[in-house]
Amino acid sequence: MTESQRDRVAPDARIVRVRGLHYAAGGRSIFSGLDLDIAPGTVTAIMGPSGTGKTTLLRLITGQARADRGEVLVDGQDVGRLDRPSLYRLRRRMGMLFQNGALLTDLDVFENVAFPLREHARLPESLVHHLVLTKLHAVGLRGAAGLMPNELSGGMARRVALARAIVMDPEILVYDEPFVGLDPISLGVVLRLIRELNDALGITSIVVSHDVREIAAVADAAYLLSGGKVVASGTPAALADSDSAEVRQFMRGLPDGPVPFHYPAPDYAGQLFGDELT
Amino acid sequence: MKRLAHELAERIGDSLVSLGRYTLFTLRLLAETPRALLRFRLVVEQVHNAGALSLVIIMLSGLFVGMVLGLQGFDLLERFGSEDSLGTAAALGLVKELGPVVTALLFAGRAGTALASELGLMRATDQLSAMEMMAVDPVRRVVMPRFLGGVFSMPLLAAVFSMIGIFGAQLVGVQLMGVDPGQFWSQMRGAVEHDDVLEGVIKSCVFGVACSAIAVYEGYHSIPTAEGVGRATTRTVVISSVVVLLLDYMLTAVML
Repeated sequence: MTESQRDRVAPDARIVRVRGLHYAAGGRSIFSGLDLDIAPGTVTAIMGPSGTGKTTLLRLITGQARADRGEVLVDGQDVGRLDRPSLYRLRRRMGMLFQNGALLTDLDVFENVAFPLREHARLPESLVHHLVLTKLHAVGLRGAAGLMPNELSGGMARRVALARAIVMDPEILVYDEPFVGLDPISLGVVLRLIRELNDALGITSIVVSHDVREIAAVADAAYLLSGGKVVASGTPAALADSDSAEVRQFMRGLPDGPVPFHYPAPDYAGQLFGDELT
Repeated sequence: MKRLAHELAERIGDSLVSLGRYTLFTLRLLAETPRALLRFRLVVEQVHNAGALSLVIIMLSGLFVGMVLGLQGFDLLERFGSEDSLGTAAALGLVKELGPVVTALLFAGRAGTALASELGLMRATDQLSAMEMMAVDPVRRVVMPRFLGGVFSMPLLAAVFSMIGIFGAQLVGVQLMGVDPGQFWSQMRGAVEHDDVLEGVIKSCVFGVACSAIAVYEGYHSIPTAEGVGRATTRTVVISSVVVLLLDYMLTAVML
């Protein structure tokens, strides 16, 4: 999406709006003037090479970190300026799927999914039972309700975490690298679930991933981050056909290009045969 | 020399900052206590984890400490011809001093390390972040029940330790060394006052707050790596042990 296109989108049509975001951690600048918009009801992919701050962007959107400068607006609220109670109120409308699932290891699958319900709503046990089983059924794991997290495979753990993330019927669902370490079958299941849950529940999905082919199959829009900024945005198909060398290198997985294969180093011959040891 | 002084000043500054953080965290825990007590089921679970699961080590240690006290006490008192006072000596030593202190040191090694490593691993595996994302405050849901579980367990464990210790002292003194059982028990009942027991209870309550706060602080603030969790566990034992001995001296000086 170009700047002019972005500005034509009505402000209320952006459930997430990031403007002029600056963020540094550990003395290193991660974002320097990042702009980004996410329309409601869509699956938006945030892609980029490792270390570009994709997960950090999710942390900023969900209020786990605060921007140094700029705005991160979620449904019109500047996440960085919210106090704790307001942030928690906003988070009740969001769900997040962590890279490893982050299931509570002392609770079984059923209780993990029931956890947000028990913490936030005083519901009759029969209703909790009904809601939890419905969500577990949606991710295909109703039969695993009695298992403990250490008895689950990586893919199953992520599906349980997904059931937990949707049990409060969130408006925004955030996925942090949902495909890492999954076998092809589990990967296919998670991909299908992202799309189906998005469409069936009317959720806005934000997926951080560097698995280009996988995410391109389900995303409506994609942003490519590099060097602390958005270097390209649009539909995944448009990104794949981009003329930009940087975008082409990432989308096609080329080992050398604007992102060099070699980490910056002194002259090779000089280092091999000269006095310089490092 | 200048560099050494600079490093020393930096270390002292860091220590003061840590002390401040500890104090603020402990104050927050104390402020959250009334609300946490409303979810008593969670606290009871943690009393089981921190207390009931430490019972075996506490009982075994109490027995051996009591038996050693019986032997040493008998040897010492025999020199003054007052071995009949063994019951009093053992009871006072256990109830006022050894019970609370040794229980606290064992608690730091058994339950404190378990608390710190559990919280550290929860941090490392994003479980605490996941709770934050579910709009659930991890301090209220996870830290508070564990803190209170430790606080409630400590005096109970210290009481069990002292009781088993007295039994151990009796076992050696009366059964092995031949102290008159009537004298052993009656002198103990006559000499041990309510205030002596209260002193032990106060000490174990204070140690309970200190050891539990240290364990949950270290675990909750650990660096989310294997090394970070290991370091938090070690720091829990080291800091708890030193703090318990320091507090013991201060409390004894105040209450004597």
